[in-house]
Amino acid sequence: MEIKDLSDNTGEWLRGTGKESDIVISSRIRLARNIAGYPFLSRANFKQRREIESLLRKTIIERKIAQDVSYVNLNQATAIDKLFLVERHLISKEHAEGEGERGVAFGKSETVSLMINEEDHLRIQVIRSGFELKSTWDTIDEIDNILGEHLSFAFSSRFGFLTACPTNVGTGMRVSVMLHLPALGMTKHIEKVFNAVGKLGLVVRGLYGEGTKVSGDLYQISNQFALGKSEKEILSIIESVIPRITSYERMARKALVMESKDQLEDRIWRSYGMLKAARMITSEEILQLLSQVRMGVNIGLIDDIEMQTLNELFVLTLPAHLQKLQGCELDSTQRNVIRASYVRKRLDGL
Amino acid sequence: MKCESCNKKLATVHLTEIIENEKKERHFCEDCAQNVTNHFPKAPSPSDILTSLINQVSPEIREMSKTTCPVCGISYLEFRSQGRLGCPMDYNVFKKGLLPLIERMHGSSQHVGKVPANAGAEIVQKNELIQLRKELNEAVERENYEKAAELRDKIYELSGNVEDGD
Repeated sequence: MEIKDLSDNTGEWLRGTGKESDIVISSRIRLARNIAGYPFLSRANFKQRREIESLLRKTIIERKIAQDVSYVNLNQATAIDKLFLVERHLISKEHAEGEGERGVAFGKSETVSLMINEEDHLRIQVIRSGFELKSTWDTIDEIDNILGEHLSFAFSSRFGFLTACPTNVGTGMRVSVMLHLPALGMTKHIEKVFNAVGKLGLVVRGLYGEGTKVSGDLYQISNQFALGKSEKEILSIIESVIPRITSYERMARKALVMESKDQLEDRIWRSYGMLKAARMITSEEILQLLSQVRMGVNIGLIDDIEMQTLNELFVLTLPAHLQKLQGCELDSTQRNVIRASYVRKRLDGL
Repeated sequence: MKCESCNKKLATVHLTEIIENEKKERHFCEDCAQNVTNHFPKAPSPSDILTSLINQVSPEIREMSKTTCPVCGISYLEFRSQGRLGCPMDYNVFKKGLLPLIERMHGSSQHVGKVPANAGAEIVQKNELIQLRKELNEAVERENYEKAAELRDKIYELSGNVEDGD
């Protein structure tokens, strides 16, 4: 499959289905694994790197880890293709910016992605729409078991799965739940959530993970510790926290509707109007507009847009996606024009 | 202003002496000030400062600074500056330095989760035992003695089959 075939659809995790999908965009789990008998990547030479890549690629493809697996060799991919894969959450920024033999395998639905030679030899990722940690874990656990039968992972009974960075050692697991929290953001209550979450050893990050800023009121809650607790325990901590945050967000939305209905509605309708009529929209502005309109749909103010369409627009209007869609490189002004026209088309605008 | 003692270098140390209600201003260069009074220890060199800082902040670095992994060749200091280990063996070679770091990051240094699918039965049992002991402690803490007794029996049963210890 060619990367361009992907550019006008999105992964299943953006469908807007699953539990609490009005607030929980996605549930994601990743496992870090390394092959025993090889150094970690910072110390691997060219030959070892190639051997690791080839061993993992062949095992993944032979074991049919996901349906219709595609493999992209990132060492040969163009800058736009790499950015495109980052925007779809199929690879990380670090993986895109890395060097040497490396690649990514992903299934047709884009639920499963396996990054080879990222920070660790292998990063397995499963991402689903809505608050669906249980089924996400079941899928990734099975993949890990299948691969673990055919590959020998670096492991010690004291420290668990051994990883290049000691922050991931143990389970090698990071669970991230992506939340849309516009009302908590607007009322500044989000700070309280950060504090409470921090006390449980969890962290809040922006849309694209570590070190990225929060935009479009999208937040990722994830675990910081990976050792000393089993996978199930880590999952249950996050599983118990998320419903509290979502009900807090719902309360904040209700309060906004009660206390400042006119301002809120004005803000949402203006955003909708902009999306339908603007001729140029920057990548930052669109996140804000989509966030407002998404809340408008959730509180029942707007009823003529599908949640899936809105979720998808968060990704489809990103720079690399617009360039893929257009089939050529675009500067930022051109992108702003194309972005606005694409959104107008999708929303039957003016 | 020149130093009143050597009359050569710039005076950078200014003292105010009060002797029997009489105030007197004195101006010295750094070297002469050392001789005049013992209040001004010689400024430590940058490397002294660094060493003492390292010793204060992380005694583990001083201890481990000469350790190098025989397998991948990474030194402990390289690991600390890059934050990435060189090979799985480093967890053993740098264990002494890593343990406090890992404790701080995770609040624990004992794995209790999954074991690889192809791990030997021994490792599987060993990790199951660790998990059960943890649950036992938690049950005792919660004063759930019924559960604790159940777990204790399971532990006895398992530990008969496995050579225990780290």
